[in-house]
Amino acid sequence: MSASERLLQNHRAQDGPLRILAASGQLGYGIPEVALQRGLARRPHLIGCDMGSIDPGPYYLGSGQMAAPAAMVYRDLELVLSAALAQGIPLIIGSAGTAGARPQLEATVALVRAIAQAKGLRFRLTTVASDLAPELVLQALRAGQLQPIGPMANPTEADILQCSHIVGQCGTETLARALREPTDVLIAGRTCDTAVFAALPEMLGYPTALCQHMAKIIECTSLCCNPSARDAMLAELDQDGFTLESMNPLAHATPASVAAHVLYEQANPFEVDEPTGTLLLQQAQYQALDAHRTRVSGAQWRPRAQATLKIEGAARLGERWVLLAGVADPTLLASLDEILQVVEARVRALLPGHWSMHPHIYGQGAVRALPQAQHSQHEAGLVIEFVAATVDLARTAAGVFKQNLLHHGFAGRLCSAGNLAFAFTPSELDAGTAYRFVLYHVMQAAPLDEIFRVETCVIDNAGQAGAGP
Amino acid sequence: MLPPVKPQTLASLARVLRSKNAGPTLLTIDIFFEDAAGYAQASDSPALSVPAVAALYQVDPAQVQRHLLPGLLAIKYALPRRLCAGTPGDGDVYGAQQHAPMLGILLNGAP
Repeated sequence: MSASERLLQNHRAQDGPLRILAASGQLGYGIPEVALQRGLARRPHLIGCDMGSIDPGPYYLGSGQMAAPAAMVYRDLELVLSAALAQGIPLIIGSAGTAGARPQLEATVALVRAIAQAKGLRFRLTTVASDLAPELVLQALRAGQLQPIGPMANPTEADILQCSHIVGQCGTETLARALREPTDVLIAGRTCDTAVFAALPEMLGYPTALCQHMAKIIECTSLCCNPSARDAMLAELDQDGFTLESMNPLAHATPASVAAHVLYEQANPFEVDEPTGTLLLQQAQYQALDAHRTRVSGAQWRPRAQATLKIEGAARLGERWVLLAGVADPTLLASLDEILQVVEARVRALLPGHWSMHPHIYGQGAVRALPQAQHSQHEAGLVIEFVAATVDLARTAAGVFKQNLLHHGFAGRLCSAGNLAFAFTPSELDAGTAYRFVLYHVMQAAPLDEIFRVETCVIDNAGQAGAGP
Repeated sequence: MLPPVKPQTLASLARVLRSKNAGPTLLTIDIFFEDAAGYAQASDSPALSVPAVAALYQVDPAQVQRHLLPGLLAIKYALPRRLCAGTPGDGDVYGAQQHAPMLGILLNGAP
């Protein structure tokens, strides 16, 4: 019998607490092993890991590449896979391979298969693909069923067709559908972070408000503690509340640290929209059980008649080259903005075509707008992006701009041998393909069962340990 | 005559002052105060009103939300990002350093 069947058949909310171990909020960056082992010793009923986010920008969704290094993803997957199979409990991994697009789901599954082969493992694997066909999004656009989240322009049809990947965030409704398949390991493409940890508890009959609130806090593991940490976090959930405990004895879940974490990355501190409803936190209570553990209760839940779908899409913008250089001359520093514009105009005359230039002047407001009086007059770092349709054009723009800036004869110039300091050469680097977000929208009336495809298979390498290359 | 009130920076009253994306289009800023006096001083200060924070970040005040959380001794803001995260020209993909303009805000004692 698979781990999901065993849990769903043998455990009911009335039976007592459910122990949920959040092993990682960023699988692939090194799960702290001591805390994980401490968590496993507590006999959790399930292990959850979040593997991705939209936070690292449009590149990962656009390109389909994983943000985390593959070798560390392998190491982390091996840890949690071995642990879950040894204990016979479900392992749920959400937002596979950073953005959860098909190539990233496939890359994650390929690593899991490689681990299974190397270690001679046998288990039932269920996957959820979360890619949307562009036609479906076009239909929603035409039907007025796309609403931007925050200040995001509505896309044109051409924008949607240019997206290299479009994903939807699956919620508890979809993970529940997947977990009704016999499953030892569930790997989902783009997933609502909370669904990873809330889906099974909800299926077992624990109150939705508590499941969602618990999931919202533990999806970042011990980030909700003081001091915050990356170690595994244990939640013990019952029908009246849940107890939070970091598996790092030095990271304490205090009422203040936990309540503060609920605000994290969240626009509204009292109402958290999830696909199947809204988590209401006005009545939430946080009580210290001791110096290390906090008990949470009181959240409420307003269900939605139909689950909503948040979709994300990224399109290729062009190829990007980047120029890196330093400036220390005070006369140059005093009018750097204008000098860059003059040099850009000269380079545009030399190099026609569609290329864009985006200067970041570190020391003079690259990170945020800085008043002129605070612009550094001692030293500044230049990071200048050049984006064009072809690598050749982006590279040419970067190279020609560099040389023209290096020898530009600005007014009052003393440094007639050169205007730039390079830490190394080549000082213009290929930054790969540039992408932009096109979709960060809610799609109404989305056919969730059609969009999120659930597949299940048996991975069987029993008796083949060490047989791999 | 009362002694002059010494202006205090927001940074000197805060235990945590952080910013982060709430999705690629929004920025959220959380300020947690050391004590109730600091929270009270800050929450009453015109320098931390919605129009003042909107002006500081050069965004439309109608798009700025402020939440007062006395139980947590915290104030939270949500505001639009200037550019969608990762658009060429964006200087802070995660939005994690956009707290900086808040640090030096001067709070002038009693309102």
